[in-house]
Amino acid sequence: MKHGLPFLLLLSCAGSAMAQDDCANALPITAGTYNVAAINGTEVPSPICAPNGTGATAGEWYTYTPTADHSLTVTTDLPTNAGLDTRFHVYHGNCGALSCVAGDDDSGSGLLSVATFNVDQGVTYYIAFDNRWSSAGFDFTLIEGNPIVNAVNFTTLSIPTSGTTSCVVDMNGDHLDDVVGVTSTNININYQLVGGGFNNVNIPTVQATNTPSWSIAAGDIDNNGYNDLLYASGSGVSFMRANANGTGYTTENRTDYIFCQRSNFVDINNDGHLDAFVCHDVAPNCYYLNDGNNVLLFNQGGFGTTGGNYGSIWIDYDNDHQIDMFIAKCGSDPVNQLYHNNGNGTFTLISPSLNMADNVQTWSSAWGDFDNDGDMDALVGASSLGNGGHKLMRNDGTTFTNVSPGSGFDAFNGTSIEWITRDFDNDGYLDVLGGGKLMLNNGDMTFTQSTVTPTNGPTGDLNNDGFVDILNGGTAYLNEPNGNHFLTVGLEGTISNRNGIGARVEVTSALGTQIRDIRSGDGFRYMSSLNAHFGLGADETADVVVHWPSGIVNAFTNVAVDTAITIVESTATGVVEPAPTDALRLFPVPTSNILYITGPTELRGDLVKVLDLTGREILRTYLTADALDVASLTAGPYVVQVIYPNGRVLQERFVKE
Amino acid sequence: MSITRYARTILAGSALLGMVVLGCRKETPGPDTPIADGGVQVDLGNMPYSTLSEYRFFLGNMADRVPNTGVLPYAPITPLFSDYAHKDRFIWMPSGAGAQYVSDDQVLAFPDGTVLIKDFWFEGVQPGDVRRVLETRVMFRRNGAWLFADYVWNDAQTEAFLDLNGSIVPLDRKDADGVVRHVDYRIPALAECHTCHKSDNVAMPIGPKPQNLDMIMSYPEGPMDQLARWAAEGYLEAGYPLAIQHLVAWDDTTQDLELRVRSYLDVNCSHCHNEHGHCEYRPMRFAFSRTDDISNIGVCIEPEEIIDPGWTHIVEAGDTARSVLFHRINTTNEAYRMPLMGRTVVHQEAVEMIARWIEGLNPPCTD
Repeated sequence: MKHGLPFLLLLSCAGSAMAQDDCANALPITAGTYNVAAINGTEVPSPICAPNGTGATAGEWYTYTPTADHSLTVTTDLPTNAGLDTRFHVYHGNCGALSCVAGDDDSGSGLLSVATFNVDQGVTYYIAFDNRWSSAGFDFTLIEGNPIVNAVNFTTLSIPTSGTTSCVVDMNGDHLDDVVGVTSTNININYQLVGGGFNNVNIPTVQATNTPSWSIAAGDIDNNGYNDLLYASGSGVSFMRANANGTGYTTENRTDYIFCQRSNFVDINNDGHLDAFVCHDVAPNCYYLNDGNNVLLFNQGGFGTTGGNYGSIWIDYDNDHQIDMFIAKCGSDPVNQLYHNNGNGTFTLISPSLNMADNVQTWSSAWGDFDNDGDMDALVGASSLGNGGHKLMRNDGTTFTNVSPGSGFDAFNGTSIEWITRDFDNDGYLDVLGGGKLMLNNGDMTFTQSTVTPTNGPTGDLNNDGFVDILNGGTAYLNEPNGNHFLTVGLEGTISNRNGIGARVEVTSALGTQIRDIRSGDGFRYMSSLNAHFGLGADETADVVVHWPSGIVNAFTNVAVDTAITIVESTATGVVEPAPTDALRLFPVPTSNILYITGPTELRGDLVKVLDLTGREILRTYLTADALDVASLTAGPYVVQVIYPNGRVLQERFVKE
Repeated sequence: MSITRYARTILAGSALLGMVVLGCRKETPGPDTPIADGGVQVDLGNMPYSTLSEYRFFLGNMADRVPNTGVLPYAPITPLFSDYAHKDRFIWMPSGAGAQYVSDDQVLAFPDGTVLIKDFWFEGVQPGDVRRVLETRVMFRRNGAWLFADYVWNDAQTEAFLDLNGSIVPLDRKDADGVVRHVDYRIPALAECHTCHKSDNVAMPIGPKPQNLDMIMSYPEGPMDQLARWAAEGYLEAGYPLAIQHLVAWDDTTQDLELRVRSYLDVNCSHCHNEHGHCEYRPMRFAFSRTDDISNIGVCIEPEEIIDPGWTHIVEAGDTARSVLFHRINTTNEAYRMPLMGRTVVHQEAVEMIARWIEGLNPPCTD
C-alpha cells in the first residue's frame, strides 16, 4: 500500500485524489509516530519554509490542529531513519495560499530533520514533506510541549528580485531600504514603498565587465542623492553611477587588475567626497580617490604590502572622529591589521601595539560597542580554525583585551566568511551573526546561541518596523517585533559626504549610550543598510548626537522612539536644540490645490519636500507660509517632508485629488 | 600502484613536428616574423623581452610554433583545464646543466636559465573557423628565482607582446561537436600568475613533476619515454627512479575511476590546496600523493565556508547535490567556482566523471 494507510481509509478516498498527495487531501493527525511509505504525492510543497531551496518534485501532506496552545516538535530524527535524508515545511492558511510557520532540512542527526515551534489552539497547520533530496519512505513523530519563548523570530517574504542579490540599501534617497539585484547588464531594484511593499524596477545598463561576485558596496560618489554601486569581481571593479534622478546608471569599467575581496565606500581623505577601497587577495590593497569632481583615481599601496586581504571595515576605534580601518586577513600572510587615521590622509599600522595583530584565519570581523561603554569592540570571526578560533576583543582605550574565554565564542566552533553585528532583538545590545549561528548579546560581553539560526545575507529594515531583517537570495527573513523599542537614524550630509559614511551616531537612553559608525560594506560580501539602527529595550525616549566627518556635531534631546528619523547635517554647529517630538498636521487631506502644514514649531523658512511613494522627490521649496501649493502635482498619494534647520525631518502622507 | 607508462601524443606539437619531418613547413613566414636559423636567445639579464620573437623559440612562421633547436616539446599525463584551450608546452635549458629529480610529486629542481614556454590556442575560432593563438606564457629561472612573462598575440598572429596587466578576450569557438560556444578567455595579470604559481609565496612552476611526465610520448623520431627523452637532451640528470608513482590520464576510461578523479584533482586543485599554497588554511589536500586517503578530498568533511547550508560536506558520499566540491566545479560564479581562476566555463566531461565517482561512494557520511 502506497502510504501504509489502513485499507479502509484508502477505500474511503476512492474517486478523489489520494490522501496525503496534496494539500486539499492532507491527512489529519495528532501527536504520535507515523510512516510515510514514499514521497510521491502530486503537490510539491510551496512556499519553501525549510532551508535549501527548490528542487523537490513531490510531497506528502498532513494537517494538525492543536486542542491547546503548545510547542510542537516535528521530527524525523528517529533511530529507524538512520541514513535517510528528509525535509519538511509547516504552514498555516488555506491550500493554494499557505504561509510558512516552520520547516527544517538537516537539524537532526545526519541529514534528518527536526523543528520545534509554537502552535495556537484551534488553528489548523499543514505539515508537508518533500523530496528535495530523497523520495525514500521514513517515519516521523509529532511531540507536543509547553510553548517556547524565542528572543527573535523571523517570517519569510518572497521578493521578486533577480541577479546577484547581495545588496539591501536605500537607492532613491527616502531612507527606506531597497533590495538591489544585479547582473552585468541590469540593475533590479525593489524600491520599498512608504506604505509598505515594493515597486520592482529593472534598469538596463551598459555591460559591466566586472560583476559583484566577490562583494558589492553602495555610496553616493557625486553627492547627488542617489547611491552609486561598486561591483567587485575577481579581476577588477566596475562603478555604476546613478543619474540625476536615479532612473539610470552609467557603467564605468575599470581595467586595473584587482582580485577583489571586501569593498567599501569611505571618505579616506575626508574631503567630503566618497572614495572607494578594495581589498586585494594577491597583491597590496587598492583604493580609488575621488578628486572632488567625481573622477576616481586608482591607487595601490599604503595599506599593507602583501595580499591575503579579505575583510576591510572602517570604524573609529579611538573616538577621535577620524575613521580608522581594520583588515581581516587570511592565507599565508594572515596577521590582521588595524590602521589609525592620522587625520591628514595618511594611515599608520597600529595593530601590533594594540593587541590586534592576531593571525587567526579570518575573512571578516564584526565591530561594535558590545558592552555599551563608549568604544568599538571587535569580534574577529574565524573562517578556519587552523590558527585558532574566534577572538572577542574588548576595547580598553589603550589596548584591546582578548575576552573570548567564557564569552560563548571560545566554545563556538562554527566558522564562516561572514561576521556582522546588529541588534536583532532590539534589547540595546549588539548581537553577532556568523559561523552559521546568531549569537545573542547577554549585555555583559557574553553571548548565547539563539535557537533561531538565520543565514548571513545583506541586512536592513525591509518593512520599516524597526527590526533588522535579512535577505537570502530572493527571500526576505522579516524579524518579528518583540515589543522592544527602537530608533532608526538616517543621515544626510551636506558638507560631509551625502551618506554620512564615517559619521558616529550616539543614542543615549535609560539603558546607556549606544554608538554606531556609518559604514558602507561590513562582513565579507554584502552591502547592508546605511541607516543606523538602535534597539532600545524598554526605553521610550532617547537623546541623539551625530558627529559628522566634517567635525560638525548635531544633537537632539528627548527624541520620540519607535520611528525612523532623518538627520541632515546642519551648519548650526554646537547648537543643541530640543527636537520636535510631535508630528506634522496636514489640512485638507485630500487636497486639490493648497496643503496647509502646521508643526510643533514655526515652519516658515524651513525646507520642505514632496516625495511620491517610491521616494522620488517631486517638489522642493522653502516654506514662505503655513501652506504649500500642490496644484501642479498629478493626482495620487504623496509624502511631505519638513527639514528643520538642525536637520530633523518630519514627514506625513497626503493625497492630491 | 601500476607503473604502466602511458602513450600520449602532443596534440599540436607532434602534428607540427610531423610537418617539419615531412617537409610541409610553410616556407612563407610573414614580414614581421623574420626568424632565420639561429639559436635561442636567452639573455637572462635582459629578460623578459618585449616581444616573443626575440627569444627565437620558434622557427619560421611563429604561429606554427615549430620549435628551435633545444626547445623540447613536452606534455603532462593529465593537463590543467583552461576553458578548453589547447596548449603546447616547451622547455629549454642552457647547455651543461639538467634538472634534478626531487620526488615523484615535487617539481623537478631546475637550473638557472631554464625556460618553460606554454602556448594557449583555440581551434574553430569564429568567424572563419580559424586557429588562433592567444597567449604564450614564459617562466624563467634567474639567480635561483622564477620570473613570469606573458606574451599576448596580435590578431595577425605574427607577433606576441609582453603584457602583464591582464585582459579578457571574448571569442566564439566551434567545439569538437561543431557547436559554437562563447568564452570570455582570461589572460592573467602578473599577480594572478603568482596566485597559483607559488609555494610559501615563492614563485614556482606547477606542471613538470615526475608523476605527471612519466609516460611514453610521440616524438618526430618515434615514441619515447618522456623522462628518458629529457635525459637524452641533457635536461634531466641521471639518478631519477624508473618506477614512479604517476598519475593516469583523467580521460582514459580504461583506468580506475578513482585514480582518474585523483589525477584530475591533483593537476587542477593541488597547487592551491596544499600546506604551502594559496588555500593552505582549508582542510583539503588534493595532491595525488595525499588523496589515497579520500578524506583529503573532503569526503564526509564539513565545509568551513557555508555557501548553502544544504551542502553538508565537501563530498557527501553518494550525493552530488549535497557535495560542495561538485557545486564548486559545476558553477561559473567566480566567487564559488573552483579552480578560482583559469576557468570561466564548466569542464563538463570532468564534472560528469567526478559526479559519477561521488555517486558511487559508500557508505553515506554518518553526520
